[in-house]
Amino acid sequence: MGKTRISGLQLFMLLSGFLFGSTVILAPALGAKNDAWLAIIIGGTGGALLMLIYAAISLLNPSKTLVEILKEKMGKVLGSIIAVLYIWYFIHLASLVFRDFGEFICTVTFPETPMTVLISIFALGVVYGVNGGVEVMGRMGELLVPIIPTFILIVSVSLITVNDFTAFLPVLENGMGPVLKAALSYITFPFGETVAFLMLFPNLNRKEKLKKIVFVSAALSALISIVIFFRDISVLGSDLMSRVTFVPHSTTLLFPEANVDPLVDINLMIGGEAKIGVCIYAATKAISQVAGIENYTNLTRAVGAFCVVLSVWDFENVLDLFSWTERIYSYYAITFQVIIPLILLVLSLIKRSKPAEGSDADNEGVIASK
Amino acid sequence: MFGRIRERYREAKHKFANVRVDASSYGPIPGKIKAVQARLDEIFSQCNDLVIKEISCGKDGRIKILVVHIEGIVDRRLLNQDVIHPILDYLPSVQSEDSSSIYQQLSKCIVISSDIKEVHEMWQAVNFIVSGDAVIFIDGEDRALVVGVKSPEGRQVEEPDTETSIRGSREGFVENLPTNMVLIRKRIKNPDLKMEIMQLGERTKTDICICYIKGLANEEIVREVKERLGKINTDAILDTGIIEQYIADNRLTLFPLVGNSEKCDKLAGKLLEGRVAIICDGTPYVLTVPYLFIESIQATDDYFDHAFFASFMRLLRLLALLTSNLLPALYVALVVFHHTVIPFKLMITLAASQQGIPFPPFIEALLMIIAFELLREAGVRMPRPIGQALSIVGAIVLGEASVAAGIASNLMVIIVAITAVCSFVVPPLIRATMLIRFVFLAAANFLGFLGIMVAVVAVFTHLCTLRSFGIPYLAPFSPLTAHDLKDSLIMVPIWAMITRPKILRQQENVRGVKGSKRQEVDKGRDSQKG
Repeated sequence: MGKTRISGLQLFMLLSGFLFGSTVILAPALGAKNDAWLAIIIGGTGGALLMLIYAAISLLNPSKTLVEILKEKMGKVLGSIIAVLYIWYFIHLASLVFRDFGEFICTVTFPETPMTVLISIFALGVVYGVNGGVEVMGRMGELLVPIIPTFILIVSVSLITVNDFTAFLPVLENGMGPVLKAALSYITFPFGETVAFLMLFPNLNRKEKLKKIVFVSAALSALISIVIFFRDISVLGSDLMSRVTFVPHSTTLLFPEANVDPLVDINLMIGGEAKIGVCIYAATKAISQVAGIENYTNLTRAVGAFCVVLSVWDFENVLDLFSWTERIYSYYAITFQVIIPLILLVLSLIKRSKPAEGSDADNEGVIASK
Repeated sequence: MFGRIRERYREAKHKFANVRVDASSYGPIPGKIKAVQARLDEIFSQCNDLVIKEISCGKDGRIKILVVHIEGIVDRRLLNQDVIHPILDYLPSVQSEDSSSIYQQLSKCIVISSDIKEVHEMWQAVNFIVSGDAVIFIDGEDRALVVGVKSPEGRQVEEPDTETSIRGSREGFVENLPTNMVLIRKRIKNPDLKMEIMQLGERTKTDICICYIKGLANEEIVREVKERLGKINTDAILDTGIIEQYIADNRLTLFPLVGNSEKCDKLAGKLLEGRVAIICDGTPYVLTVPYLFIESIQATDDYFDHAFFASFMRLLRLLALLTSNLLPALYVALVVFHHTVIPFKLMITLAASQQGIPFPPFIEALLMIIAFELLREAGVRMPRPIGQALSIVGAIVLGEASVAAGIASNLMVIIVAITAVCSFVVPPLIRATMLIRFVFLAAANFLGFLGIMVAVVAVFTHLCTLRSFGIPYLAPFSPLTAHDLKDSLIMVPIWAMITRPKILRQQENVRGVKGSKRQEVDKGRDSQKG
């Protein structure tokens, strides 16, 4: 398997799908209640900056994946140890998303089906996609990810008659404290999670577009989140919104004249597929690079199965999951999302990467783009 | 599992290679006419259709000539007029003892044919004899003359049954390879239209013609086609369908990766887009590669019609494709899992029609679809007149009686009928749809919408992994090629379509062969076309 390439559009779609991921079923930054939109704007800005840092790391170390960068900058032993930690993080992240979607489907559509079955079926599709490689994942993203914003917009427009546009007032009722806290959690989920893309960025065929792609997808994601927030709060009201588990689903239930919620909910799962797909790909690719296995596709099934099992074992129930995500996740993730990447960025700036030996992929890219 | 199949296949291939008859075992052409006759008798023993005519000539008739051909596949009149007559008329006047001078005279002056070849090996001579040419052996010469007198007999050029069109040419290909080549040449009068003939099949020796337009077709693809054809290692090629299975990129997919057509104008259009055609003697179906998914919803008529109608028809075809795949599955998912989605009034009708049906919706759908497939298959295999009776019986039994007897619900009959009608709208994908429909149905019965979604995503993933001669199958949608969207679901008018599909030459661009004259030539052509 040589270096496979994905186009800018494909990467953009994958990134967007990743960022839509769980945020379209769990409205983000809800800790800030009425002011969540402020938190989304602040968090979105921070998230975009964070993603630009990842892009910068990738640009400073062209055609190298996260594992290769770690090994080069931190030495073989320390780099490998941190790489293993990252592998854990990616796998854990995939299992978290599995659990999110499993709980979601279990709650809203299939209350009597065991969640393990749902997650396993879901995983089958994802693993099949990941086995196809980056190229196939990119093409899938290109085809399927646009469906998500389309459905969100359809639902938003249809609900325009039941809106109460003043529901988000008053602004800053509780001061800036909760807003900043929510913004921080919004940065870590979902923006910080795109650290997994450091395994994918080297496959982009035109490096000069990377920053633009990253920025636009972050902006789009924040925009969609704001649209979802305003739709939800003006339809449900802030009181109801803080009580229901899956806010966008509850909004869809109010769709006029028809019960379309199963249809809409199913389409929202595409984001989950993109996110889990990228996570599993990143984890398997990282394992193969740490352990020196040439063909990573042999590992996807194992990693996928492990993620499924982990997602079922991790938490007792949905409340456990949510309280963990709310309280601990930000601090747990910040190591992987901010601290290590910042160290990497500094290290990359100090000792500029020498051109990678034996990988002429970058030159190929230049030729292709000419 | 597939690994094991592949292994078996490899073993079989290996065995086959060992038992193959070595063509050169026939040896060179012996110099003595007696020996030639003996060899021929040996090779063609029990072949009563072989005709050997002996003519004596030279001084005192000492030098003997053998004219060998097979009865029936040569054009008798042509043979008499071009070969036998001239030889009998002029050769007695040649009073030479030298066999080689007789040979020279024969090939240069006497035999009136533009198609004369010289062969030295016995197997070559035998090849020409069995493929319908006449071979002349001369006593004392270790070479032979081949005169092309193949009979052009065959079916008349008529309108094909499978691809009928409202506008456009009514000419369809026939079984005869030269006629087919003429039909293409008649439409593209250009020396750049290349036709390369090769023989495939150890025993059948079938003529295959690779046809492309030099300068338009990607050389890489042309080379790949030749290479894959060359790798075919079998003893019989009876139809392009066999070639198709050998040269497809992914041999285990349900989707067609090689296109086929019976219509000359369609094929000419494909060639002009830069595709490569493979014509096979003995079948009117001509293959085109690379074949992309989008081609299955394109029709020749589209290009002759107003772009608005054509675009509408294409959207309709896509809708039909989705319907024929998903409708039964969606119905089952709705009835079994998601009653809430159905509007209340429809729900009442549905509940009423479901009353008293002994089967769950999944079994009901399965039974009806299988019954329909059986009817369709019977209709295809039956002689035409009976087929009509069959469809009437089928319609009455399936439509009326099954509902009256309470075996199937009204709604299910409608669903299956719509599905059936829709599946005929997109002919190239009928077979793929037929099987995938069951997968969706099972998925819907198992997990409702979630099952359908996982199945759809899996099918999409599969489509994304497919390539046809290196070109991604789902192009121009994925990878998105904005340039080629002009001729996809929405078609721009033909006068605005001044460039050819880029995706077919995309490989060339990526590999960096760019900047060759070919592209300039293309540009010139494109602007002329515009």
